[in-house]
Amino acid sequence: MESKKIGFWGYPDPKVTEQVKRDYPSAEWVDLDIDFGAPDRSILPESYCKIIKNIINNTLDIKPIKIIAPIGKDKCDSGWFAAQVLKDKGFDVIETKYEQTTDKNEIVIADSNLPLFDKFNTIMNNIITPKKYDLPQSEAKFGFWGVPPNDMDILNLFPNETHIYGWTRCVEAGTPADIELEMYVEPDVPTVFYAQAFCAKAQLAKYLADKYNGLYIDIDDYASNSIKAKVEAFLRLR
Amino acid sequence: MAEEKLIYLDAGTTYSKIIEVGSDSLSADLKDYFIRKDGDKTYYILPSAIIKQKNIPVRRCCGHMTNASENEIIALANGAKPIVDENATILDLGSRDAKWINFQSGKFHDMDWNTSCASSTGATVEMLLKFYNVKRDDLKFNKEKFAVTCGIFGLEKIMDDISNGASPVESISKFVHGIAYNAWCFSKKPDKIYLSGGFCDNKCFTDSLKYYCEVVPLGRFMLCEGLINADTKELVHA
Repeated sequence: MESKKIGFWGYPDPKVTEQVKRDYPSAEWVDLDIDFGAPDRSILPESYCKIIKNIINNTLDIKPIKIIAPIGKDKCDSGWFAAQVLKDKGFDVIETKYEQTTDKNEIVIADSNLPLFDKFNTIMNNIITPKKYDLPQSEAKFGFWGVPPNDMDILNLFPNETHIYGWTRCVEAGTPADIELEMYVEPDVPTVFYAQAFCAKAQLAKYLADKYNGLYIDIDDYASNSIKAKVEAFLRLR
Repeated sequence: MAEEKLIYLDAGTTYSKIIEVGSDSLSADLKDYFIRKDGDKTYYILPSAIIKQKNIPVRRCCGHMTNASENEIIALANGAKPIVDENATILDLGSRDAKWINFQSGKFHDMDWNTSCASSTGATVEMLLKFYNVKRDDLKFNKEKFAVTCGIFGLEKIMDDISNGASPVESISKFVHGIAYNAWCFSKKPDKIYLSGGFCDNKCFTDSLKYYCEVVPLGRFMLCEGLINADTKELVHA
């Protein structure tokens, strides 16, 4: 029998997540932000944030029985619009806003010595099934600021001693709408400021890259060889 | 054992630049592409479309049209560093991308690489010259400039300008001025630019860039020189 799927994006309010887990104890949870290669349904414009396109295309492909949809400052306006589109398409969407900025979790994973790719996966997997981690910490050689990229392969360009900043660090802290923490970086650590193309967070990424003499990059869909070479040059020259 | 040839290749999108050091093993095969001989170095420029069929045994190479052994921006840094001021911005403008690096007190400080869009680069200008049957050296600096945010939109402006009575030479010159302005802004508006790449030979471009800053042309072989320096001198990133 095909398992029931619950879709979510971003960092839903944990109280809502826990309630849905109790209501559907055997359901499979799917992070709709991730690119699973679902066919493009041409619902959104061609030039649009790939993460939001993933949300729409994944939903239409896997047809979750319920969707937990952050629509506040913990996600973005595009998440809010996507929730409306999916409701209009007949999906069962629970809208959540999780904008508290107190009672932060201790940062362990973002500053650990795990490979950067694994750091991101560990933090994002911790949203639905939180675990405590005790990991060796690393001294930052580089920083990576931003959301989990659609093309996670670019993370493999970085050494293990790369700390995570921006929204993903906020996720580990359990405060995805904490703008102060989102804008935090270690000033002396050479940092790549990443934004998904057509994402409003590009405003912050560019501003912070200029402020801290970092490297601003935006990537639509998958990173070209040139983008990878640019990151490689930054890591080698800095 | 056969002696290894000291051949250094920068295989750009449109043109490949080659320096052979020491022996002159390429002179027969590449006689049509010979540029100059300077000490123990022989310089060639040939269309990249034919570089693969030449099957040249290169020692080090960079560029889009080859399996590069070195990153282009690092080659640029290594090529320029020994000959520029301690505080310097070096801009390399090629057929399809633009990249710059900045040194402060002789150390790498900042960089960027416009990795994909050809709006600010040579390929668009070459296509325009062919389309309107205009010679590059006929172009003249024009104080008026087009806002070249995109090669296609820029083409539209040229067509409108010509239909309003301007000559193709005049219109393309305004387009080139727009590229020069973009290049200056992209490089963070320095007082002085060391210019590398094919635009060194485009007087309309260098005169347009001089409207905004001092310009020191470095020629088209800066990346090849960087490959040589990486073999023989202290590297920028070492």
